[in-house]
Amino acid sequence: MGARVKNRLKVLRAERDWSQQDLADRLGVSRQSVNAIEKGRYDPSLPLAFSISEVFDLAIEEIFSRD
Amino acid sequence: MMTDQAAQNTGKAAGFLGRGPMFWIGLTFGTSGAVIGLILSGAIEGKGIAFALMAIPLACMAAAFVSMLNKNKSGTGDCVTKGEAQRRYIKRVAVFTSLYLASFAMLTFIDELGTLPTAIRIGIGVLPGLALVGFFWAIARLIIEETDEFMRMLTVRQTLVASALAMSAASVWGMLESADLVPHVDAYWYAVIWFAGLALGSVVNRITYGTWGHV
Repeated sequence: MGARVKNRLKVLRAERDWSQQDLADRLGVSRQSVNAIEKGRYDPSLPLAFSISEVFDLAIEEIFSRD
Repeated sequence: MMTDQAAQNTGKAAGFLGRGPMFWIGLTFGTSGAVIGLILSGAIEGKGIAFALMAIPLACMAAAFVSMLNKNKSGTGDCVTKGEAQRRYIKRVAVFTSLYLASFAMLTFIDELGTLPTAIRIGIGVLPGLALVGFFWAIARLIIEETDEFMRMLTVRQTLVASALAMSAASVWGMLESADLVPHVDAYWYAVIWFAGLALGSVVNRITYGTWGHV
């Protein structure tokens, strides 16, 4: 298995008091997708990572980092 | 904004007559088994009564599809996810299931099939197979149209598991059949195994990614 990616999705979401469904709606994906990314089970594609960074108004590297 | 809890509650409320798809699918299998049991035991005689009774599981199946569409519309539920691609997939599967059942019933219940001209027999005989091809097409369209990359990946994984299972079964059984070690199995059963493989793929997804996927 390749190198995994860590993310701060859960913390960022909690700071904004958003549920997984709230974030999913903003991203136009399913709640299951947000859950899988948040738990580190699935690494998003670059386009989805850019969408996440836009939703949180942060740079990608402020959200994602190497494990 | 909808909270996780509210979404779950809405998911429970959606469906058909207050019940989710799994309830109606279970009822479809249960009533089908009961009717087939009655036919095989000889309790029902005559195709007319058997046909009439088969309307019960068909009604349950129709309720399952309506329940799925309602769940899809409400955007909740773990086994039925929201999205236009998924909605189109459910509708396509409903159409091809209806075509399959109608054509299969025609094939089973036409007594004079053997006496009909070859061209007509081929025409009737090929219909259930074409309906199954429709299922494969519906899954292919779902993979193409799905905009949620994670859900698309889960569907692709399910089809890979299904293909591996069906092709393995065909290879092993085919070789054993060539060696006259096992009885002949009609080739369409490998399509049935493929669909069972989709269910297995769903379980694999649940174990490895924490969600069933949506086929």
